[in-house]
Order: sequence, then C-alpha cells, then structure tokens
Amino acid sequence: MTVTEKTLPPTDERLVELALDGDEEAFCTLVRRYQRRLTAFLSQLVGDLELARELSQEAFVRAWSALERFDPRYRFSTWLFRIAHNLGIDQLRRRRLQTVSLYRTDQDGEEVEVVVADIDKDPLGHLENRELASELRQVIDELRPEYRELVLLRHFAGLSYQEIADFKEMPLGTVKNKLFRAHSVLRKALAAFL
Amino acid sequence: MGERRHEVAMDCQTIQEILTEHRGEVDRLEPAVRQHVEVCPGCREVAAAELALVRILSEAIPPADLTVEQGVRSALRPVRVRRRIVALLPVAASLLVALLGAVMVGGVPGAGMVALLPMWSAQGWMALASGASDWGTALATGARAAGAVIDPAVLAGAALLSLLGLVVVGIAALRWRRVSPWRADD
Repeated sequence: MTVTEKTLPPTDERLVELALDGDEEAFCTLVRRYQRRLTAFLSQLVGDLELARELSQEAFVRAWSALERFDPRYRFSTWLFRIAHNLGIDQLRRRRLQTVSLYRTDQDGEEVEVVVADIDKDPLGHLENRELASELRQVIDELRPEYRELVLLRHFAGLSYQEIADFKEMPLGTVKNKLFRAHSVLRKALAAFL
Repeated sequence: MGERRHEVAMDCQTIQEILTEHRGEVDRLEPAVRQHVEVCPGCREVAAAELALVRILSEAIPPADLTVEQGVRSALRPVRVRRRIVALLPVAASLLVALLGAVMVGGVPGAGMVALLPMWSAQGWMALASGASDWGTALATGARAAGAVIDPAVLAGAALLSLLGLVVVGIAALRWRRVSPWRADD
C-alpha cells in the first residue's frame, strides 16, 4: 500500500462496497460526510430545520435499505440527494394539503404575511447578522424555481456542476448558464452585504 | 466598432460565467482568464462579489447536528434484521417446496440417520427428527397411496420441483450471504 492510499480517505464508492458487505461503520462514514449538506439542502427546500433533520435521517435510512439497488455507475451523492429531494417534495405536497393560512388582514384591509419566528426551525437561525439572514431568506425564496433549485444544489448540497447536471439530467452548459444568471440576481439583491 | 463592443461584452459574460463556477477564486483560473480579470474592472468587481457571495452562502449552512447520525445508527440494525427476514423468505419457501417434493417421491430421512449427529444434541435432534419422520412417513404414505392414482408424470414433476427447490435454496443462500453476512460483531 502506498502512502497516498494510506492517507486518502476512502471514496464514496469504496464505502458503499463495504456497506453492501454489511459494514455499518462504513455507511456511518457516509452519513458523517453528507449529513450537514443534506440537512442544509433540505432545510432550504422545506423551510424548516427540525423537519430537515428528520428528513435527512429518513433519507439515509432509505439509502441504507435500498443500497443493493444503487447503481455504482452513478455517483452516490447524486443518488442520495435524489432520495432526499423526493422526500422533501413529498413533504411539501403533504404540507400543502394540510396548510393553514399564514396571512391576516390588517387595519387597512390589506393581506399581510404572518411571520412565525422560531429560531430552532429557521434554517438561517444560526446567522448572527439577522438582517442578512432575513434578506438572504427573502432573495432565495424569490428566485425563479429553476434557479432556486440549482442554487440549493450548488451551495447548500455542495454538488459540483457536473453532479448537478447528472441530478437534473440537464446539459452541463445549461447548468452553467442558469447558475450564472441566478448568481447575478443574488449579487444584485445582496449588494449591500457583499 | 459596435461589433467590437459586442465581442468584448461576450468575453466578459464568458469570463463571469467562469468566475461564478470557480467561486470568484481568480488564482485558480487559467492565465488568459486571470489576465482579463486584471484589466477589466467589471469582471474584477464580479470576482470580488462572487467571493463574498460564496462566503455568505457557506455561512448560511447550519452547523452539523449529531442527532442525525445517532438517529441513523439506531435505525440501521432494525433495517438489517428486516432485510435478513426478507432475504430468508425465498430460502424458506424453497425449502418448503423441496420438502414437499421429497415427501411426494419417498419421504424424508428417518430418525436413524439424524441420530448420527453429535451426542450432546442427539436427544433434541432425535426428538425433532422423530417428529419430522412421523410426519414424513405419514405424508409419504399418503403420497404413495395417491401415487397409485396419480399420473407418474405428476410424480416426476414433483421430483423436478424438489430439485428446483434445492437450486433456489442455493441461489438464495448466496444472496443471503451478500445481503447479510455473518459477522463477528453480530
């Protein structure tokens, strides 16, 4: 074994192989590797940090249960984030069915949004600069859905452009172009903080 | 002149796309791109803004939470047990088919054969084998009686089924090994 082989952390592919042979610790290494990014991605997707943690856990358990069906020709990260994405979308659909209005009518008869402040559930609750957190939340929410998803995949899930292209089944050039446009919007909206 | 301006603008867009992809880190770019950024105020501004934007976005990622890993850890074992049971189902079904086939063509091995098992477990095995043997004898007698009226082709089919069952047991056992190997820590 060379020095490089000794010092390099095992690849996702190797860890998946070990996990398939029943090595739970190898799978837990994958959990540690991806849990922060997965939770960050889901928290932005569903807008609730606590729920995102539950969904992350569920995504990992589903990945473990379905590991035999994982096709090693694809990246583990792409597969894992697809499981998580589907869970998040299902959750949003369910919530839409059970939703209650977060709008009330003010004294002028105008509809205004009711802001529910719960720091434990706020995906940006850890940011000390509350003004930045509020602005960032707003600008991400207001991004066009196709841009928003790519920004979440790039910056919260931490996927590379190629991984995003695989995930979205989209040409790499389109990913580059859309992320460039999304960033232009973000730069403009957050100019005061840059 | 207009064409030249258009070309420069196109270049800037390409450069800015590259800057976005590389998180505004000019040092990591190719020399030609770096040179452009050095002399182009617009692209330099974008590079600086990209660096700051990526920093903000990275700070927006919540800190790691150990409860996720703990939750996953506690869920792995039940899933594994469930997978074992699911993996065992074809083995059990195949054994049943093999047993039925064996019964139809002549019965299961008698108690005498199983008595050769180690002495310390002989009594238990004997009791088990005796019970199985009684059932086997009863079923085999029934099968032989039925054989008098059943087409020999059906009996041959039963024998084939028995053989097929054993093959499936072998395949399922190999799969079982893959899904859930016997490990020292189990």
